Amino acid sequence: MPDLFRRVRYLLHRGRFERELAEDMEFHREMAAHEGRSNFGNALLLREEARDAWGWTWLDRLSQDLRYALRTLRKSPGFTLAAVFMLAVGIGVNVAVFGFFSLMVLRPINVRDPGTLLRFHRRNANQYAFAVSYPEAAFFRDHARTLSAVILVNGTSVSIENEQKVADARFVTTNFFRELGGGASLGRVLDPALDEGSADPVVVLSHGFWQRHFGGDPGVVGATLRVNGRPATVIGVAQRYFSGVGTGVDDPPFWAPIALQPYFVDGSRLLTDLSVESPGVSLWGRLRPGQNARAAEEELRSLAAQLRREYPAAIWEGERLPSEPGGYVTSMMTGNRRGTGTEEHDPIYPIFALVAALTLLILGVACGNLGSMLLARGVARQREMSIRTAIGAGNGRLIRQLFTESMVLAMSGAAAGFALDVIVLHALLAATSAPAWLDASPDWRVAAFTAAAGFGSAILFGLTPALQVGRQRYHANIARRILIGAQVAASCVLLIVSGLLGRALDRVMFSPPGFDYQHTVSISPDLSRNGYPAARSRAYLDTLQDRLRALPGAQSVALALAPPLGHVTISAGIELDGRHADVQVNHVSPEYFETMGIPILRGRTLRPGERHVVIVSESMAQVLWPGQDALGKKLTLGDDFAVVGIARSVRYGRFGDSDRVQAYFPIEVGQLPSLSILVKTAGSPAQFAREARTAARSLDANTFPSVEALSSAYRVNLQGVEYAALAVSVLGLIAQLLACFGIAGVVSYAVSQRTREIGIRMALGAKPAHVLKVVLRHLSGPVVAGLAAGIAGGAALAQVLRGRLYGISHLDPAAYLAAVALFVVTVAIAAVLPARRALRIDPVRALRHE
Amino acid sequence: MPNDEMPSGALMLLILRVLRAGALHGYAIAQRIHVLSSDILRVEEGALYPTLQKILLKGWVTAEWGVSETNRKVRFYRLTPAGRKELDAQLAAYERLHQAIQSVLRTA
Repeated sequence: MPDLFRRVRYLLHRGRFERELAEDMEFHREMAAHEGRSNFGNALLLREEARDAWGWTWLDRLSQDLRYALRTLRKSPGFTLAAVFMLAVGIGVNVAVFGFFSLMVLRPINVRDPGTLLRFHRRNANQYAFAVSYPEAAFFRDHARTLSAVILVNGTSVSIENEQKVADARFVTTNFFRELGGGASLGRVLDPALDEGSADPVVVLSHGFWQRHFGGDPGVVGATLRVNGRPATVIGVAQRYFSGVGTGVDDPPFWAPIALQPYFVDGSRLLTDLSVESPGVSLWGRLRPGQNARAAEEELRSLAAQLRREYPAAIWEGERLPSEPGGYVTSMMTGNRRGTGTEEHDPIYPIFALVAALTLLILGVACGNLGSMLLARGVARQREMSIRTAIGAGNGRLIRQLFTESMVLAMSGAAAGFALDVIVLHALLAATSAPAWLDASPDWRVAAFTAAAGFGSAILFGLTPALQVGRQRYHANIARRILIGAQVAASCVLLIVSGLLGRALDRVMFSPPGFDYQHTVSISPDLSRNGYPAARSRAYLDTLQDRLRALPGAQSVALALAPPLGHVTISAGIELDGRHADVQVNHVSPEYFETMGIPILRGRTLRPGERHVVIVSESMAQVLWPGQDALGKKLTLGDDFAVVGIARSVRYGRFGDSDRVQAYFPIEVGQLPSLSILVKTAGSPAQFAREARTAARSLDANTFPSVEALSSAYRVNLQGVEYAALAVSVLGLIAQLLACFGIAGVVSYAVSQRTREIGIRMALGAKPAHVLKVVLRHLSGPVVAGLAAGIAGGAALAQVLRGRLYGISHLDPAAYLAAVALFVVTVAIAAVLPARRALRIDPVRALRHE
Repeated sequence: MPNDEMPSGALMLLILRVLRAGALHGYAIAQRIHVLSSDILRVEEGALYPTLQKILLKGWVTAEWGVSETNRKVRFYRLTPAGRKELDAQLAAYERLHQAIQSVLRTA
């Protein structure tokens, strides 16, 4: 260690040490000369060799190289700017994608000690569920020894006074805030000592909701908030950046003790229902120090087996509770899915893989461009390199020098790319109104990735000039051709894929969904949350329907259990003769089809009071009874239903509805409190929505129905698609731009290299067309080859995409041709523009050249 | 003039050894080695100063200003306690090696 100290001292005081060394050696020479010896070497070299012992020579060389690189780059600002810009784009898109990935998957959320937090879900050989029933979870809480704490979170939709929309509240165990390290910015948060076992209805507001609903009123503590018509006391406001954990990446309005969930939600059996139909809770655990996830899973498995002896119907055979790390955004996005078989993987990974592949390709193209630009520069710098070799620079030193230049370029590009990432991510989060705790500022992971991307690209594009020097050959024709071919191929793939994605998204956005969303208003009184039994619900719904019909503009009124674009979706898997269909189920009144503008293609609509009948969509008829007449067929789903009509298939969701398998059943009595009303209006839906709300409130002032024009819900639904389409188009544009850059660069290089030849040809009377042909001749081969490879690659990737991503269900020849045509045209322009420079060459000057 | 080859480790040992008697400047070190080796070993500045720099870095000698016999301000190198310990260790190691080689040479 003292050795290192001394070295550093030498570095810091090198001026003095160097002087002393020089004096020593000077004295030595004097003495030697005195004694008549004259065997002197190169004093400078000898001194440098002695200095080597200090171990800082590399630093000297590096700073020399750096100074030289900066000087060279400053001397050709056009080249430097173009290079840095290209790298900034290439690295920037990659860093932005990585930054988003890191935010979602790699970066722990803002809770205490995220590393020991686990989220559990249920699975056995053929079933899975992300929600665990409360009694089962409570059993784990009381008996698990590997976990120091168990946190349970239930998300329930509630209506809050003076809020237009239903909100997703969180009912949590009282240890929630203590375990996750969340404090209060006002008042206090839930506390096991004060709230466990207490029957006082209390809520802790989220910071966002406090701002929105109470306008940030500092006197909110102690206020009363009516939730589902029940009063609750506000005890505090959570900190702004507290993320909590729960059942989704959102900003819940408030957290309340889970024991009080039945107080707010009438008829809720959350705390007692063990069945898988119970809404259940998401189950989070904190590992006791010294324990690991495996031990916890093993313990919960044996606890489940123990519980199964008592409740054989509710706990599955061979039930396991696999865990995933809980301290990340992704663990919050899995929601409450459940089903049979293996759970669907999060679509997040394949999408990231695809985007990462595309953006890496962009970086590859950028590096390729830069590589050929550097090749061209290498020719121009041939003289300089020869001189440097002549005065004694070895190959190693020259390559190191060139690589330093590449490194300077790459790091400037990386820095610009880093800035780009920060801007893009912040804009993205702001545009999607993400919760405040989602922190997009770059962390060390992003910084490390940026540096790695910069270093990697420096190696990629710095390779060609280094090889040029290494082989002392500056006309690397084959390397250049391969580069051009690869560039064309990569850009072509990018364009085709982004064209395909763009077209698919376009179709989703602009093709009509098949139902009339423009004129329809949905009113969800949520009677079940207000304690309405079935009989009172029927009276309420009948009266409200009558009043709505009487409003000006009302054309048709219907009831539905799952209104389109609403919060409720019901799906069921149906097996029939070995064919499987995932059906979107709805229960509707007979007027539904008229109100929603969905034509009955064959058969008839439902009749009032009818039971055991069903109307299926055209797609469902095709899936379950291919080549047969579905009318009159029997459908078994718990009960038997006869198919009496076939309706046109409709796209309710945003992407996933490529199969559009839908079944409409009559309304059952038990569903009455959960029904929504749909009204088709002749006038403005927004105006009608206001009147409908007034009408509903006048019927029962305690209900807070959510009223929405479907057109606005539709727009919100499309927003995600719009962002995706925008992102894809931007990627495609960048690819196109880079490709043009590259081709133009290569052509102007070819022109500059052959100035003399062109001059002679022109002096001898060659026609302009001929000159152009000569210049571009060597280009056509690699471009055609690259184009062919690119088209093949694009086709292969499209095939993969079809299976993976929503929306791309068919190969789209139009997207294909358009992409290729656009590419060929722009490349041709990019090639011809610099080639025209050849025509302006003055033969006399060209001959004097060199 | 042909130089008897000398590994740099050996030069280090010689430098440390001639400094044991007292501080010397660079030229004097070379002279001393030359004289003591009966004019066989000649230390050139191209070898002497890099080795001296290494020894300085290790902390085995320190450099201090003094006045030479020609009345010139010059740096004298002096063995530190750490250098003395190092010299003893190197001498012992060299002695062992030397004896081992000798015993092979004598008996083989």
